[in-house]
Amino acid sequence: MTVTALPLDGVRVVDFTWLGAGPYTTRTLADHGAEVIRIESAKRTDRLRVLPPFAGGRREGSVNRSGYFADRNSNKLGVTINLKDPAGVDLVLRLIATADVVASNFTPGTLQSLGLGYEQARAVKPDIIFLEMGMQGATGPDASVVGYGQTVSALTGLYHLSGLPGRVPVGTGTNYPDHVPAPAHSAFAVLVALRHHRRTGEGQYIDLSQAETMVSLLGPAVLDCSVNGRDNGPRGNRADYAAPQGVYPAAGEDRWIAISVLDDAQWTSLTAELDVPELADAYPAAADRHAAHDEIDAALAKRTAAADPFELAARLQARGVPAAAVNTFGDLIESDPQLAHRGHFAVLDHPEMGPSVYNAPPYRLRGVDGGDVGAIMRTPAPLLGQHTRDVCSRVLGLDDATIDELAGRGVLG
Amino acid sequence: MSAALSALSGLRVLEIPGPYGQYAGKLLADQGAEVVLVEPPGGAATRRAAPYVADEPGPDTSLAFAYYNANKRSIVLDLDAEEGRVAFRALAASYDVVLDGSGVVGNLDALGLGYDQLSALRPELVMTVVTPFGTDGPYADHQATDLVLMALGGLLGLGGYADGIPTRAYGDQALLAAAQFAAVGTMLAVLQAERTGRGQLVDVSAQEAVVMAHENAVQWYALEHVDRRRNGGEARQAAVGVYPCRDGHVYLLAKGLGVFWDELVGWLEAEGVEGAASLRDPKWKDDAYNSSDEGKAEFATIFGRFAMNRTKAELYEAAKRARLPLCPVNTPADLIAGPQLAARGYFVDVPHPPTGRTLRMPGTPFTLSACPRAETVPAPSPGAHTADVVGPLTLGAQS
Repeated sequence: MTVTALPLDGVRVVDFTWLGAGPYTTRTLADHGAEVIRIESAKRTDRLRVLPPFAGGRREGSVNRSGYFADRNSNKLGVTINLKDPAGVDLVLRLIATADVVASNFTPGTLQSLGLGYEQARAVKPDIIFLEMGMQGATGPDASVVGYGQTVSALTGLYHLSGLPGRVPVGTGTNYPDHVPAPAHSAFAVLVALRHHRRTGEGQYIDLSQAETMVSLLGPAVLDCSVNGRDNGPRGNRADYAAPQGVYPAAGEDRWIAISVLDDAQWTSLTAELDVPELADAYPAAADRHAAHDEIDAALAKRTAAADPFELAARLQARGVPAAAVNTFGDLIESDPQLAHRGHFAVLDHPEMGPSVYNAPPYRLRGVDGGDVGAIMRTPAPLLGQHTRDVCSRVLGLDDATIDELAGRGVLG
Repeated sequence: MSAALSALSGLRVLEIPGPYGQYAGKLLADQGAEVVLVEPPGGAATRRAAPYVADEPGPDTSLAFAYYNANKRSIVLDLDAEEGRVAFRALAASYDVVLDGSGVVGNLDALGLGYDQLSALRPELVMTVVTPFGTDGPYADHQATDLVLMALGGLLGLGGYADGIPTRAYGDQALLAAAQFAAVGTMLAVLQAERTGRGQLVDVSAQEAVVMAHENAVQWYALEHVDRRRNGGEARQAAVGVYPCRDGHVYLLAKGLGVFWDELVGWLEAEGVEGAASLRDPKWKDDAYNSSDEGKAEFATIFGRFAMNRTKAELYEAAKRARLPLCPVNTPADLIAGPQLAARGYFVDVPHPPTGRTLRMPGTPFTLSACPRAETVPAPSPGAHTADVVGPLTLGAQS
């Protein structure tokens, strides 16, 4: 049976988030039916609005052409309100009075200083759910430290544990905590609080630490240290459960193939496909392969270097060996058959950017239009202030004359 | 109401154990859902995952299992036998969620326990299936590991050193990414099922979960035809990247996402660092210069004069006073010893009955003011709750 409604129909979110982790959180809510109203300042816009990449490679002096911004803000409404003006704060409080959720990834305390903290929100909406997702949470000696995804990666051990022994630590090459750990945990926490509200009528304050979400994903390393006193440090692509496991050169510029061997049967298949029976003979058991990993890697690299990585991966998969070409981002959009089949990338027609690519969520809700991502990926990121008038009129019930007057005084900017 | 309710109390979950779903089950269990591992005779394979208490491999010593399965219950059912499948069907008829974390497409369908069969018994059932590539498509039957998923999700190509091999992030993050999104998708479906009485299948792809982490690389390609590549081991521009200090490294981010150059220079001047004043030159406001090898090297020399005489902890304290985004490259030991996580009560001490030890492990990374955290219950022994959970069914069948 198909459920045509979306899971969060009827939920309204007042969204103060900006940059990476926050907007990805509220995007999940917006994609699944919540009315998410981004509150932005026209004077101090979300910095991602002016960071590349830009549609057509050109910013053109606009704050509406960044793909970095767009992918984090599908299905949202965009409103500009000057929060330095008491009339602007008053308008936002009136909006909060109609809302279910407030979300922010400002440094905890920032909203309070603007007159828009949890207590102030609760005064106008006693059952509000109020999410703050500071880099290190809202309490503790480091609660006010400024930071970004990369500094969270450093602070939490992801940098230390990723990379090669004896070299400078590297993380993922991205602001990883901003894109999966912080937004996934934050969205989960809001959904949990929505369920609690539905059952009890109670709202609440959610204090999420972005750093803690990352540490929670390094649990076994933390336990190895706290219990055994061990710090293995970085191990590159290797793992206890596979040998060999690595990334090997392939034909083409910066082309690679990833291969994992989980058991003896896969080792037999790999060595047969690559025609290296001497390796199979020399290292029959997993313990042998762990011990001689460097030698095995060197020998395998010689056999993969001239191969097309996609063809070799297909041949290895046909033999049951976990293997894959390392996809470039061009590959992801243009030629990965699995992502194409799943419809992972949605194209939404943006008023300034034109048709542009967005991630769909990484799961299909099969009861929502049978899992068709079209039901989820509906509208592109908002232009700055695109919905100011709509929200003032439809949600706050202001008439045109009042809206014009507020705009004229600079309150809606 | 007076007594605080745990947020997910009353939510009942059957979890097929496996590396793709165990963290999703943990998120649900930590918020008070009743999460029951359905283990095969002999116990789940996840019970044997490294690392181990005192480095002694065995079915009772896995630290990973102790972490991912705290607060859960366990029953043993042989789903390869009809008796086990009958019991599973009977349980599913009264549970809210079936979470299949095995990572095997069609795992439960092959046993006659797939979504179509179970939803006929209980229309409000949510079934979440977490697999490498999703339940359909040309790769659905492919073999996968974390490394393979990192490769196919694109993130692997950004990890590692500019001059070297693509290198994955530590700790099976592809599987954990899938599990995190599985928890989100499950909650969306639960909210809908509790409102409408209709459950659904939540079909999670680990490959797609990795794609979510590309930051902006897909848009770089789509909009500007630039394929981002890895750049680890080098500063991205002056004052953006990893810098060595006396006892390790720090990550400094004074440009890019934030704009902190003037604060940085003011700090270095106040510390009397030789050459700091030269960072006032207008050339440092030019991104082309900042991103050049010359600019990056010049900055690294000046900053290094200061940083190499300070520990990462000293630099962090000083940066906090200057309100600059600079963080130490912490080790797990640093995390455990540090004041911030301790002040927040983040780590929890959990008994480990098989060894008699107490294990210090991460707790929940967020707090809910109306739903206080409960004491963490140790991960169950295999079948510890079989009598409690399955017993009533048997009695019911006999009466």
